[in-house]
Amino acid sequence: MPHFIAADTGGTFTDVAVYDSSKRLLTFAKSLTTYGDLVDGVVAGIEEARGDLKSTAALKHGTTHVINAFLQRKGARAALVCTRGFRDVIEIARGNRPVPFDIAERRDPPLVPRALRFEVTERLGADGSVVEALDEAEVISLASTLKAAGVTATAVSFLNAYTNPAHEDRTVEILRKCLPDVFITSGTALTREWFEYERSATAAANAYVGPAIAAYTAGFTKRFREKGFAGTLAMMGSNGGLMPFEAAVDRPVALVESGPIGGVIAAAEYSRALGLDKVIAFDMGGTTAKCALVESGSFAVQPTYWVGGYVRGFPIRSPVLDIVEVGAGGGSIAWIDPQMRLRVGPRSAGSEPGPACFGRDGTEPTVTDANLRLGRIGGGSFLGGRLSLNTQAANAAIRDRIAAPLGYGSDDAATTRVAHGILDLANTLMASAVKEITVARGHDVREFTLLVFGGGGPIFGAELARSLGIRRVVVPPEPGNFSALGMLMANARTDVAQSLLADLSEHGIETLSSVRDKLRIEVVTAAEREFLNKSPSLQWQADMRYRGQRHAIPVKFGGDPDADVLVRAFETAYAKRFGRTLGEDFTPEVVGLRVAAESVGERPDLLALAPSPDTSRSPAPINHRPLHLRPGGWVEAAVWKREMLPAGFVITGPAIVEEYGSTTLIGPGDVATVGRLGEMSIAVSSERAE
Amino acid sequence: MNEAFALLEAEIDPIDIEILRHEILSIPNQIERNIERSAFSPLVQEYKDYSVGLVDPEGALIAQSRGSLPIFVANALGTGVREAISVHGADNLMHGDAIVTNSAATLGQHLNNVALLTPVREGGSDNGPLLGFFAVLVHWIDVGGSAPGSSTGTDTTDVWQEGLQLPCVRLLSGGRRVEDIFRLCATNSRFPKLLLGDLEAQLAGCLLGRDMVLQIAHRRSVALLRATFESMRRQARAAASAVIADIPEGEYSAESFLDGDGGGAIPIRVAVRSTAGRLIVDLEGLGPQMTGPSNAGRNGGAIAAARIAAKYILTPQEPVNQGDFDLLDVEAPDGTFLTARPDAPIGGSGNTIPTVVDTILRAIGDALPAHAVAAHHGTYGVHTIFGRLPETGELFTNLDTVTGGWGATAQDDGAFPLRSNAHGDVPDIPVEMQEALYPFRLIKKALRPDSGGPGRRRGGLGVEKEYRILFPCKVSLKFERGQCPPWGMAGGGAGATCFVEIMRASGTTVRTWKGIYALEAGDRLRVVSGGGGGYGPPHEREIERVLRDVEAGYVGRERATEDYGVVFKPDGTLHEAATQARRAIICRK
Repeated sequence: MPHFIAADTGGTFTDVAVYDSSKRLLTFAKSLTTYGDLVDGVVAGIEEARGDLKSTAALKHGTTHVINAFLQRKGARAALVCTRGFRDVIEIARGNRPVPFDIAERRDPPLVPRALRFEVTERLGADGSVVEALDEAEVISLASTLKAAGVTATAVSFLNAYTNPAHEDRTVEILRKCLPDVFITSGTALTREWFEYERSATAAANAYVGPAIAAYTAGFTKRFREKGFAGTLAMMGSNGGLMPFEAAVDRPVALVESGPIGGVIAAAEYSRALGLDKVIAFDMGGTTAKCALVESGSFAVQPTYWVGGYVRGFPIRSPVLDIVEVGAGGGSIAWIDPQMRLRVGPRSAGSEPGPACFGRDGTEPTVTDANLRLGRIGGGSFLGGRLSLNTQAANAAIRDRIAAPLGYGSDDAATTRVAHGILDLANTLMASAVKEITVARGHDVREFTLLVFGGGGPIFGAELARSLGIRRVVVPPEPGNFSALGMLMANARTDVAQSLLADLSEHGIETLSSVRDKLRIEVVTAAEREFLNKSPSLQWQADMRYRGQRHAIPVKFGGDPDADVLVRAFETAYAKRFGRTLGEDFTPEVVGLRVAAESVGERPDLLALAPSPDTSRSPAPINHRPLHLRPGGWVEAAVWKREMLPAGFVITGPAIVEEYGSTTLIGPGDVATVGRLGEMSIAVSSERAE
Repeated sequence: MNEAFALLEAEIDPIDIEILRHEILSIPNQIERNIERSAFSPLVQEYKDYSVGLVDPEGALIAQSRGSLPIFVANALGTGVREAISVHGADNLMHGDAIVTNSAATLGQHLNNVALLTPVREGGSDNGPLLGFFAVLVHWIDVGGSAPGSSTGTDTTDVWQEGLQLPCVRLLSGGRRVEDIFRLCATNSRFPKLLLGDLEAQLAGCLLGRDMVLQIAHRRSVALLRATFESMRRQARAAASAVIADIPEGEYSAESFLDGDGGGAIPIRVAVRSTAGRLIVDLEGLGPQMTGPSNAGRNGGAIAAARIAAKYILTPQEPVNQGDFDLLDVEAPDGTFLTARPDAPIGGSGNTIPTVVDTILRAIGDALPAHAVAAHHGTYGVHTIFGRLPETGELFTNLDTVTGGWGATAQDDGAFPLRSNAHGDVPDIPVEMQEALYPFRLIKKALRPDSGGPGRRRGGLGVEKEYRILFPCKVSLKFERGQCPPWGMAGGGAGATCFVEIMRASGTTVRTWKGIYALEAGDRLRVVSGGGGGYGPPHEREIERVLRDVEAGYVGRERATEDYGVVFKPDGTLHEAATQARRAIICRK
């Protein structure tokens, strides 16, 4: 009966997944993203996947709209209303210089210029007490100033409002009344955590994209209602949960990383289904590679996200999947720097002109060209043969742009050597991203399983694992459609958090209990309003540290603030991260409470995704092709078609497994086994001597 | 011959080297994050007053973390290693040993800067060949001495008043903790818990870094690792050499001065010479050692300042490596304020560095106009509010430093408020955090209009902060550059200078830069940072840019007319004719 649809609008493609729950059938489609009207691409994708809108219960939508508006500075003319004395908070920022010696380095200008930042008389103490009352007359007169300035959005962010939002709430109320057509938002409606720069920047960012998202969702809704769609519409939030369109209109900033989250949700689903406790979800696309941790079936969200990067960008306080990204993808260009060093990325050839082997005037060698040069991908099997690749063009680009200028020469040995170099360097960059999300966070990377997806993940998985000391790689079904698939599986989720300072004395526990009660009411009310769910499942987290520390670590607990329970949970989490606790001389304290409410909806069964090959005869390779190994040289490697491999089937490397949108490389000594969900699990041999 | 060809000729594969280079560079960065997350004191977690690096067996820097403060590129890690070798002998530094040092005579920086280093021996065994040292330097929150925070004292007259020295003592011996030393450090600190917390993070990070280097050596090969170290140094030297080659041979000089510590201005006369492919920074013209604590030893002072300046000009985008400085010579006699004697007070060892670096950059700017930059606000501007918390009587100390305007270049306006040129990734402490923890309130934190030096490219703006004190406490101030304005370049004007004002509840106001002052409830404290210098004649600034500056309030109308020759009609709009006329007159002058 009902269908479920996920549509993920990315930079190049719009990916659609349709699940027919009565037939337990999944269909995927890819259409080109349409920049004129983004909704066209979604509609085209749904048509291609034969999604029946009239019988669709829910449409889940992810989009790069918000992040693009920030990065391209295409947002509203927005104003910011601040506490008297503090209108420059978002411009002064934190005064740090992440690049230590470069005089030319500049931060991007703030989203709201100084002339549109206004101060009003009001002041709250750090304990939430009113030091100076809000001057409402000033706010009313400010409304006419804003009108005259022609702003279409306004953010309100006051100092210390995280302890008491009353002044912000009242200001928003007055401004909404005076300026009904202006998008009005406040810092504490988005985050109730301390740090004025981060919260003000979040409010300004929300205002900046508010009008555009309101218009986009309205247009989207109208279009789909006209097509007879009567189900629920939800957007994919950066926290991994769905938001109804109405909530997305209030908090568009929560959509900032709407794109990459889908794949990680799917990775978490597979981790649970396969009983994998520690997983690194690794996604390699055309431009970047991304990785995130999935532990005990769930992924971490980070409270602060830097739009445009830490060096030049600005922070937003909105829960975003904790993900590390490097500029190494299939399209990443290999080049020689002024010091004659081989480099890979971050520039990408994209889809136009694309890698040299696409034969569309690309002359610079890319990671994909190197893969082709070494036989790791087949010239005729890319995207199921829809795009045939030009091996000669790839070779020429590697030879002329890299091998010859670096002194390796122009013969075949030189181009294979350099092709390996390009891949090894890409691998090194990706490995450093994986280390950043493990080693730098106190994890032992060798304890993890690497789950690879995206167009490029499966081809690099085994080597990446080998270089990190990881012993197992899992390639899930549909790695090329993983993001849309994950979106289909996403639950509705609402996050609420509050900064506070409480030790674990009786008094501190009382404080915690009262904040807990308040947050519970808030989040349950939101879940009921947004998802019609009166009893969502709640996940509680306390931000805890030893008194004296600045950084807190997230500590999961059942929601009942009990001193012993919290101390034990904190010590476990602390020891896990840092390898030790600090003993009784140090006092744990709580600096924040967070709760996430999840409402589980109907979703596809993972078994539906497992291929059901013809088991009457044993599968055979579809062909053999030359594959270059280092060390080892050229070998004839068997090429398998993935949909022909039944559960329990074992392949020993070197071998290649092809499917639409992705290729898996099984290295010499590696052994791949097909699992019951259709996943390929590769036991990675220990490192080869070089 | 380029590096790649040279390597191929030596039968070393340059791509292997490049991959290993990436792996080596990423280690200190990962350790840095790890320490930042596990350390205790705000100085480490927020202020990032630390540095992580890999040093070769001779004490030459191979790789250093990116967040490390510039002040430490000056070799603090390598100096610590060289000292450890001279004290113990390289052969006696075993796997599992960890040495701590903050010796004034060698490191030459305030005693809070404590380097912890451990040998990296092949295979992690005592008789394995020495591959290098992993080192982590952390600003310890307090090492005793006359003032809370140790380096915060403003009236010390010798180094023994500034705290405990740890002359290359073993914290670990063959992997075993020497508890005596932990106890010694804790006992000599006013904040033993925070100190031990930081020390544990420092130690764990150092050992983890060592193990990561050992893993690479094991996975690749020791020979390849060594070849990579050598190649990295050659690459860095070659890149620096290419820039030095652009400097016409000759001598370039510049002058400025420091406020000093009460005994009058201290001269800074700098000469930069380019000869035979080398760059010589001549600091003979630095003023003499001061009686107060604004001195530094040779390594932490003169060499640090010259290297920071050189790095800004030569290869700012490349990671720091000893090779950056292979072609740099620093000349300075003993006994200046940056080559102070071992007994000199050095609590404020960094205070003068930004101005000296500025002055060296000024001299190089004449030699390499394309790299010229006007002066920046030029001070750490340490303002530490300390006292006892009203509720508990517990000691608190809130060390803060200023952000101010940076100098303009031929291309760009000066950057908006940033730390000094000897600071790196050091974020400001949020007002909300300060107010939650300490008994004062900020009533203003705003850009300081008209503080940027006028110029075709305008200097960056300073910041004005105003505190209201709610409970009796004290403030310790160490500001420099109160008298010598951040100069402009190529006809640009100077930025405004910094100052601090204490506005008593009684109505009197004191303007000051240095000293410790008692504050009462109701007093106000204004901390005002300087702006950056401008570049090029102000009347050449595009009128639209001046108008934008006026609209934003970066530049007031008066200064727009006075400095930039932009005239307004009574209704506030541009008076084009009067502007053209005024600019023509300024131009003729």
